[in-house]
This record gives sequence, C-alpha cells and structure tokens, in this order.
Amino acid sequence: MVDETPIDDTKTRISEYSRRCADSFTRETRMEEPTKESEPRITTDSLSMSYGEFKALEDITVQVPRRSITAIIGPSGCGKSSLLRCFNRMNDLVEGCRVTGEVKLDGEDIYAPGYDVIQLRRTVGMVFQRPNPFPKTVYDNVAYGPRLSGVKDKERLNRVVEESLKKAALWEEVKGKLKGSAMNLSGGQQQRLCIARVLAVEPEVILLDEPCSALDPVATQRVEDLLAELKERYTMVIVTHNMQQAARVSDFTAFVMIENQGEPGKVVEFGDTNHMFTNPVDERTERYITGRFG
Amino acid sequence: MMKPKTADRIATIVFWLLGGITVGVLLFIILQIFGRGLLTALNPKFLLGKPEAMKEGGGIFPMIISSLYLTGLTLLIALPVSLGAAIYLAEYSREGRVTGAIRFCVDSLAGLPSIVFGIFGMTLFVIYFGWGYSLIAGAFTCAILNLPTLMRSSEESIRSVPGTYREASFSLGATRWTTVRQVVLPSATPGILAGTMLTIGRILGESAAIVYTAGLFVRKAPTSPMDTAAPLASYIWYAQTEALIPDFRRVVDGGAAFLLLLVLLMNFLARRLARYYQRKKLAGGADG
Repeated sequence: MVDETPIDDTKTRISEYSRRCADSFTRETRMEEPTKESEPRITTDSLSMSYGEFKALEDITVQVPRRSITAIIGPSGCGKSSLLRCFNRMNDLVEGCRVTGEVKLDGEDIYAPGYDVIQLRRTVGMVFQRPNPFPKTVYDNVAYGPRLSGVKDKERLNRVVEESLKKAALWEEVKGKLKGSAMNLSGGQQQRLCIARVLAVEPEVILLDEPCSALDPVATQRVEDLLAELKERYTMVIVTHNMQQAARVSDFTAFVMIENQGEPGKVVEFGDTNHMFTNPVDERTERYITGRFG
Repeated sequence: MMKPKTADRIATIVFWLLGGITVGVLLFIILQIFGRGLLTALNPKFLLGKPEAMKEGGGIFPMIISSLYLTGLTLLIALPVSLGAAIYLAEYSREGRVTGAIRFCVDSLAGLPSIVFGIFGMTLFVIYFGWGYSLIAGAFTCAILNLPTLMRSSEESIRSVPGTYREASFSLGATRWTTVRQVVLPSATPGILAGTMLTIGRILGESAAIVYTAGLFVRKAPTSPMDTAAPLASYIWYAQTEALIPDFRRVVDGGAAFLLLLVLLMNFLARRLARYYQRKKLAGGADG
C-alpha cells in the first residue's frame, strides 16, 4: 500500500489516502450507502482543548477513516490521550475542561448543544490504559452495556455475552467461569474482557487508550492480533507511546507533540502509517520515530 | 548515635508494647464485665423476664426489645439521609462553598456531646412536638447524633471506589445515577455495612441521648413507635443510680454483659461481612 510518488503537501496526502481507503471499502459486502462509506468516520476541525488556564491541545485537524486503525503517537504528556477523549466526550467529566472547534462523527458535530452524549458513548466505545473490569462476574461485566440499553431477555443477553466474548477471543478461556469474578482473570484476559464489554454495546468506533501498556509481551501480542481482526468491522483509534506497536497495528498515524514546555500539543504529521514510518515528511517526526527524543 | 538496627529493634518493641496495651485494656474490660455478669446474662429467666421495680428477680426482656426496636428505627431514619448526603458529597457536588459548609456543619455536629442531643431531642420531639417519651423521639434524637459518623464513613467508602470503575461505566453510556447505583454503591457496600455495624454498636450503647427522649423504665415491651421504651443502656443507668431494685447489682452486671455481647456480635458480623465480600471479589475496595 505504499505510495511511490512523493507528495509533499500533507493535506493532499490525507485526502489521497482517504480516497484510497474508500476504494477498498467499496469492495466491502456489508457496507451501507456507498457515499457514506467513503466519508471519514471522525473529523476534527481546529479542535482546541484546555484544562482551566492550561491549553492542552491546539488546532487539531485530523480525519479518522472507517474500518481501519488510526494510531495517535507522541511523547508523554503531549495530549494524545486528551485528544482521544474528545472523541467520546469523556473529557466532559474533568472539571474545568473546555473544548473549542469541531469534532464530527459521521458529519454530525458531537459538541453541538443538545447532542446526546449517552448515545455518543454507545456508538464510540473506549478501552482504557489499565484493564478496568467491574468487580462483578465475567458475565455481568459483558452484560453491563446491553442491560443499560434495556435488554432484559435472558436468552438474548446470553447470546450477546457469548458473541462478544468470542469476538474478543476470550470465550474459550472463560466459558467455564462466567459466574466467577472478573477480578480473578489475568491482566491480559481482563483487557480482552474490557474489549468484549465494549463490543457488547455494538459500537461503531472503538477508542483504545494505550491498551497494552499494563500488559506483558504475550498478552500484548494477543490484543494486537485481536485488533487486526476487529478492524474488519470497526473504526479504531489507538493511543500508544510504543512506536513499534503503532507501526505494527495501524493503517494511519497522527503524530502529536509539544514544541516547548507549557505549550499546547499539535498534530505535526498525519498520514499513512507505512509512509510515515518509512518516509516522514516532517523532520520532527523523523527524529521522534528514530528514537532521538521522546 | 544509635545504630539503625538497634533503633529499629527498640521501635519494634515500643510499638508492640503500645499495641499490647490496647488489647490488654480491652481484654481487661471484657473479662471484668463477663466475670461479673455473664452467668446472669445467659440465664433465660433474666433475658425473657419482666423487670421488677421494688422486688428481686426482675428480667430485662422489654429492655432488649426496646434496644432492638430503637436501633431499627434509628437506622431507618439515619441511613437514607446519611447515604443520600454521602452520595451527593462524593459523586455529585463540585468542591466549593456549599460542600465546605456541609462538611463544617457535619464536623461540628460530630463534636457535640451526646447529652446535648438528649436535651435537644427532649425539647423538640418530646415536648414541642408532644410525642412524649417515645421510641420515635429517641430514634430521631439518636439518628441526628449518629448522622455525622454514618455519613462520613459512607462518604469515605464511596470515595474509595476506584475512579476507573466510574470511567468504564460512563464510557459504556451510563448516566451518573446508573453508575452510582450499578457500580459505585455495590463496590462501596462493604465499607458502608461496616460503618453501619459500628453505628449499631453505638446506638445500642447510647444512654445520654436516650434517657430524656425514649425513656428509662417500662414493664412491658413497646409495640408502637409512640410507646415509651427503656433501651438497655438507659435502663442500666437507671438501675444503677435511681431505681429502688434490691438486687440492682445483678441487673446492672447482667445487663452490661448482655449489651457487651450484642456489641461484640455486631463487630464480629461487620468483619465477617467485609471479608465475605473481599473473598468473593465482587465488590472492590481501593485494591480492586
């Protein structure tokens, strides 16, 4: 998928890749309207975010294409997690947090007044840095989301739980202990349980905030394999400080960094992952991915 | 300069001794009270018998019922209020003047001696509301008295629920109320229960707030909340200081031993409950 012709202007490249990625999606069988499929799932336009007086992000303009994995990379504290949390408005829960600019999900501004945040979070699921299953049974963890939306029927819940656990590649390991506490699972299993819990809500987008940072290499491998499978059906955005991981799993990458201490994070470069890792446009990107800072 | 190793050894011994003193004092009290009254306290005739005002051989049955009745009523009033306030403070409020004012009031309330609550309860509930010496007047007084500790322990339990649980719940599209109900409260339950059990112990042992509100002597067990009652602790006080019971020593020692048994049982249950939840890992504390 590496484009041989050098295009210098980042913006043209983005639209070029969006188009290409759209082409591949028109071949998909379970697509909806073809025009909708070619549109990016999430777009931001001059997005800025601040915590009280501190400006964390400025002028972020990115596009997240459908059914692909977009990685957000950057040094610690650059605001990549904050950016991710703008996509499901989890930042709303932080006191003093303010967002300006536009974040659109399927063309609709999710920060518009009166926008249904509950529905947004059902459409845009999230997996966190540390596995955070509820101190409930494995079954109740997965059934949490469906029950929220009012599913009471036992048969249907059983089916959703089983399907979600299968999709998260966890079913074989836990099918005998669905009634046991989720806290007794290993860290890697807990993280896949959290993914299953998100899948049970039937989201369209899944945000992952450094999902493997608390896992050992074997568990990380399993989660990465799982992401590759899920890509067929979901749009995913993953924040990672691990550049190898970004290179391994993602199709597109956004590189966020802070120029000087105290300044807001900005997107330095955004584009096709292979391209960015083999032939970065910006010098800072090159320095970062070759490990010279960060 | 002392060698660090020697200093460490001395510190260990000192702390061991201080810990030992605490245990020793408690054991001494327990042994004293049980030594004097346990035989009486385990005698069914004493436990199920009617009290006598002037004769020997009276029992404490109406007092036991009064104590349990009062405890139940008090919790019925205090638990919803303190839990509601705790949820508000821990989950809904933003730190500011309002929460500061609430905390100040609660802390001041907690610092008042219980006899003050007793006099207040008598003035307001017994006299002004015209409820007379009654279980309900005693329960309201006791509820106000225990509100601060119950609220603070509930708030602490709610706050110790890891924020990651809330995040997970919100990210799945839950509202704040659903999150509180489905995730936060179940996780905080062991702590809230432990606080409640300790409060039960305090209610059982309370006398100053009770003597002028619920009453101190009855011949028959109360049935209605409007009935005058004589909870054990206030009856013990009465028997010891004012009553004309010839065998008051036996009544007081037996009553005290039985009261101590009840309180120890409550503490034991509190620990068992907390451990049960922890073993099942179906409610997390801070250690998840």
